[in-house]
Amino acid sequence: MEGDQETEVYTLVARKPSFDLPTACPNCLPAYIYLKLAQLPFELAFNSTFPDSDELPYFESGTYVAYNNEDGGVIEKLKKDGIVNLDSQLQSLPDYLSLKALIVSWLEEALTYEIWVGTEGISTTKIYYSDLPWVISKVLFYKQTYLAKNRLGITKENAEQREKQIYKRASEAYEALSTRLGEQKFLFEDRPSSLDAFLLSHMLFIIQALPVTSVLRCKLLEHSNLVRYAEKLKSEFLEASSSSPSPPLHSFPSSFPRKSSKPKGKPKVEKTEEEKKFKKRARFFLAAQFLAVVVYVSVMGGGSSEELEYEDED
Amino acid sequence: MANPTEKPEPIPSTPKLEPKDEREELEDINGGEEEEEEYEDEDDGKPRTREDAIADRIKAESLFRRMRETPVAVRVHDVIVKGNEKTKDHVIEAEVDVLRQATTLQELLKASKVANFNLQALDIFDAVKITLDSGPPELPGTTNVVIDVVESKSPFTGQVGTFTKAEARSSSLEGSLKYKNIFGYGDIWDGSLAYGCDHSTEVGLGMCLPRFRGRPTPFTSRVYLSTQDWLKFSSYKERALGLSLGLIASKYHELAYNIAWRNVIDPSQMASRSIRRQLGHNLVSALKYTFKFDQRNSSLRPTRGYSFISTSQIGGLAPDSRTLRFLRQEIDLRYAVPLGFYRAALNFGVAGGITFPWGSEYKSKASCIPERFFLGGNISPVCSLGGPSALWGFKTRGLGPNESRREVQDNESGDTYERDFVGGDVAVTAFADLSFDFPVKWFRDRGIHGHVFACAGNMAELSENKYRNFTATKFLETFRSSVGAGIVVPTSLFRMEINYCHILKKQEHDRAKSGFFMTFSTPS
Repeated sequence: MEGDQETEVYTLVARKPSFDLPTACPNCLPAYIYLKLAQLPFELAFNSTFPDSDELPYFESGTYVAYNNEDGGVIEKLKKDGIVNLDSQLQSLPDYLSLKALIVSWLEEALTYEIWVGTEGISTTKIYYSDLPWVISKVLFYKQTYLAKNRLGITKENAEQREKQIYKRASEAYEALSTRLGEQKFLFEDRPSSLDAFLLSHMLFIIQALPVTSVLRCKLLEHSNLVRYAEKLKSEFLEASSSSPSPPLHSFPSSFPRKSSKPKGKPKVEKTEEEKKFKKRARFFLAAQFLAVVVYVSVMGGGSSEELEYEDED
Repeated sequence: MANPTEKPEPIPSTPKLEPKDEREELEDINGGEEEEEEYEDEDDGKPRTREDAIADRIKAESLFRRMRETPVAVRVHDVIVKGNEKTKDHVIEAEVDVLRQATTLQELLKASKVANFNLQALDIFDAVKITLDSGPPELPGTTNVVIDVVESKSPFTGQVGTFTKAEARSSSLEGSLKYKNIFGYGDIWDGSLAYGCDHSTEVGLGMCLPRFRGRPTPFTSRVYLSTQDWLKFSSYKERALGLSLGLIASKYHELAYNIAWRNVIDPSQMASRSIRRQLGHNLVSALKYTFKFDQRNSSLRPTRGYSFISTSQIGGLAPDSRTLRFLRQEIDLRYAVPLGFYRAALNFGVAGGITFPWGSEYKSKASCIPERFFLGGNISPVCSLGGPSALWGFKTRGLGPNESRREVQDNESGDTYERDFVGGDVAVTAFADLSFDFPVKWFRDRGIHGHVFACAGNMAELSENKYRNFTATKFLETFRSSVGAGIVVPTSLFRMEINYCHILKKQEHDRAKSGFFMTFSTPS
């Protein structure tokens, strides 16, 4: 069985590749790029039947699993559990948080809007539904579009206004990032960070997966230094498939510290214990009642087994 | 698998078809109603005097004498149906077609009994009466058959019962509401709610048509929404929304088609690797053929006879290649030998099953977890005819290939299982059971008897290239087995066993221990 401490294989499970991207899903690509930037050797596995899951992508190694819907995301969990942390010395910098807020809120909102509403989901078939039958993909598409609109707070009344706001914020974010980046290789001096992973993923997705008519794509392409940044990092980290293993940018322990990875919070676990005891007692009580009824029925039922015998004539 | 698609059959009530006197046969035609004479002359409306009655009686007795000596040739001239306001004539006539084929009076009497049973089986009449009347006087040797039916006044009926669902491998309690004969075609509509011992629930709407476009067997269809909760055993929950169509249902053969949207999720996020890889949505489009030959004298306590059942399923029958593609085959063979004392009998059973995906790269693809075999549970192997299912002493999904779950550091969860049972692609079980009555009359009268048993079973994985590691020697070496003895209490709803089991052989991580267990089974 796998799970041997000495020979752990790291695996990232993501959605299927398309549009010349290693994984076409905009939620999975940041984790992939983050691991590539950290130069951590890992295998890529695919799940193509769960488009509406927020667990994907997940990172596994033996019996250790980091789901995307826990502890703020896969990348945060990998940092917390000490597997790979590119931001260890950057988190104290003043503009780290503000850049992070810009990327994970405004840019992510803009991307979500563009995929599900702006381009009317043209790209979603290849990203999410390529392996699902037509009926299921149609129903899930409507479901995911509805959920995306809910998340973005879009209603019939405010649709136009919300669209303008989202595009305006995206433009401002691109402007700020372009100014901040200049001609640097990474966002923070010469070391890659998780923010580079998020930004690179955002840009690669928009450039390669969205149609040329996309408004967001046009806005992004106005900033040539951002596009150059994306191309440089892509060719260096994503397309160098057989490069010799260079020393990792950040050392990580061979066995990660044991951290509690409860799927639910503590108060809920205690409640479950109480519930379990109660259910156990209730079950015993019901079983005893049931047995009494059965014994009564069997005593009063008499020869019920006789009626079930029959002679078959053919 | 695991599609609770079939509507389980309730415990059938079968008629006693034993040879009787001709006179008694005539009485039996109307389901036991007390009628002295059914062969009547044309009634012209005049009041019957005592002399008329005596004359008729003498005529009837001479007829019975003739019938005992030689076959009395007769031909059915006309079938007259009365009393059906809603039900269409052709529905009733289709069930009594056997009458027209009779050429002698003896055959006609037998055919009338069969026709009466067929009409009662439609389940839409409160009473059925078949009368043989003499034909028109210008055509001697003919008879008219008059069928009087009383349609059910209240079209709604409710039913609560316990069933064993073959796929779920456990007993379930089901309540259903039926609405009969809305359109007059003998159609029965039902809504049902079932709750299983394995935390499965199903809500369904069904429709049964006895005659659909002239086909000889009834047509059934069912829309269902079901959930099966296997979190405790295999860290996943299964939800399905589907439609199943019963295409052929005869005495030996059954063909059904099922199309369902199945969703496998893990709300606990604790699943092992194999289960994690299979989370998601699937479309199942499968055809299932069952051949059943059951010559045992009882399905709850067989003491004589044998039975054989073979179930074949092929999934992926759709133009879309993205539906779930699998093959599944199960067989079950039983044999009961009476021993002649205290109603003792020796029951043997052997069951096996195999499942495999098909399509491109089928050898390296993983078989779908819900379609795999799982052994263990709280049902008795003696009653669960249909494939490898339960072993005495082993808990639900308590043996076979298993994997470590996701690691958890808490001490609070120390009492939960740490392994998932992922099922096997091939499974084999065998059992031997000696049942006997107790010498005490009180037990014998109530059907409470004892039994001593032994069983063995094993499973293995074949898909994902694991067939390369499969050897018959290793499979036989890792066979699990148990022995035990117990008391069987049959009730009108189910068969309950209170057993003491001793586990002879089990593998690491199997959930089985020697001790007292109860099982609940319904005939299947």
